[in-house]
Amino acid sequence: MAASDTETMQTTYLRRHGPLWISILAGIAAWEIAGRSTSAAFMVPFSETLVRLWQLTVRGEFLTQLLDSAELFLTGFILALIVGAPLGLLLARVRVLRIGIEPYIMILYATPMVALIPFILSMMGFGFAPKVLVVFLFTVFPVLYNTVEGARSIKPELIEVAKSFRSSEWSLWREVMLPYTLPYMMTGVRQAIGRALVGMIAAEFFLSSTGLGQLIMGASQDFDTAGVFASILVIGVIGVGLTRLGLVIEQHFAHWRQ
Amino acid sequence: MSVIGASSTAATDLPAAKRLLGRESSSFVPRFATGLVIVLTWEIVVRAFAPAYVAKPSTVVLAIPRVITDPAFLQALGATLAAVAEGLAITIVAGTAIGLLMGRSDTIDRMVRVYINGFNAMPMIIVLPLFSLWFGYSGAARIATIIFAAIFAITMNVADGARSVPREYLEVSRSFRSGRLRMLTDIVLPASMPYLLAGFRLAAGRALIGAVVAEFFLSIGGLGYYILYNSRSYHHNEAFVGVLLLAAFGVGFEVLVQWATKRFMPWYRRDEKAN
Repeated sequence: MAASDTETMQTTYLRRHGPLWISILAGIAAWEIAGRSTSAAFMVPFSETLVRLWQLTVRGEFLTQLLDSAELFLTGFILALIVGAPLGLLLARVRVLRIGIEPYIMILYATPMVALIPFILSMMGFGFAPKVLVVFLFTVFPVLYNTVEGARSIKPELIEVAKSFRSSEWSLWREVMLPYTLPYMMTGVRQAIGRALVGMIAAEFFLSSTGLGQLIMGASQDFDTAGVFASILVIGVIGVGLTRLGLVIEQHFAHWRQ
Repeated sequence: MSVIGASSTAATDLPAAKRLLGRESSSFVPRFATGLVIVLTWEIVVRAFAPAYVAKPSTVVLAIPRVITDPAFLQALGATLAAVAEGLAITIVAGTAIGLLMGRSDTIDRMVRVYINGFNAMPMIIVLPLFSLWFGYSGAARIATIIFAAIFAITMNVADGARSVPREYLEVSRSFRSGRLRMLTDIVLPASMPYLLAGFRLAAGRALIGAVVAEFFLSIGGLGYYILYNSRSYHHNEAFVGVLLLAAFGVGFEVLVQWATKRFMPWYRRDEKAN
């Protein structure tokens, strides 16, 4: 009985995840074959990419750049949260302010922020601050936009009830507005994670070259194709991981949504 | 999981343009006043603290007629728009085909989804160094960047759409002995149209960003390079006109998709559902 149970579990596991593993293996095999059959300047096989990645890790180059990027990412991201979330709630509370500012937030949300990088470069130069500003600009609008979106959907009755119970402004924010808006805010956070990553790499490409952006730029300038692939692999894995994290955060709060 | 995420974003984003246009007349005064405050603050701050070359509203406005009659600018604009149009055309055809297959076949979906999700999660600009190695510093690299930036948004949305086709439609068509391909083109594709449009809206914005970033990185002629070149040579006002145009395109795509959804798919009420 127990044996057949585990057997069926195994077969359902295989049926569900079999194609996934087959396709991952097929992808790696295709990469390996393509890499071996073309010139090394064009593409390198998966195995060589891993070897190069190992070399970069052992030399410590990789960890330093990773930490450098992480510092930039976190500083910009946290600043955007500190500014975006309270501002979004404030806009929710003060209706005139919201109606007034909302279209401009929309416009900025739709504007490709990369276009502002040359201005930031020529006004602020090559320090850490301009790069943080880039990450901030990429990040703040999704947070702000979604927070306002959530705050718009707060039912007026909720606030009216709270008011008729003589709730103070502070507890109104804490007990009604924040819990109601949080799931939307988290959708903003999920979108912001992806954008912050783009902003981070863009800042490292086009402002002073540091971090993971520098790793890949340097490799490309040296025609070190293996290095380029190794960096892309790493950044790709980080991207997938952070996106997953964003989804988990969003899902965690999603059931609060009505 | 990501499916839920992707479609819910698309849904919450949709009514935005409607609000932007400000149908309610009572909202005009605060909007106009806020705009005025923003412009005046910008003007005053720049006049007081920033060097003369920094863009401010008064000089940007003066630069507009000069820029839009400048042949170099028009050529740059044309180059970028042509590249975006070409890239988007390829993206829509390829992305829709992959998306339809993913939506209608679980096996294909399970095999392809890892890669779609993976590539979609990558910050798209990291492929630039690679594309510059592969395609050289050329327009081909720009097109490739645009496609890479845009295709996953379309694919994921179309796959969602194809999956959500009502069962009855397929059953009816099957009982009329329609072939598999026929079913895909005549039932699944039209039924996924609203999703395709939502994907297109996302993809168009990303394609524009892709084009600008590629021009920055590869130094090839276009709107992005025009912005880069002018801001480097301290012609910030001219460069800022380019940014305004980019913002206008971003908003324009939004409004266009909204209008198209309403005009051609009146039966589709995703935005009401979201609210």
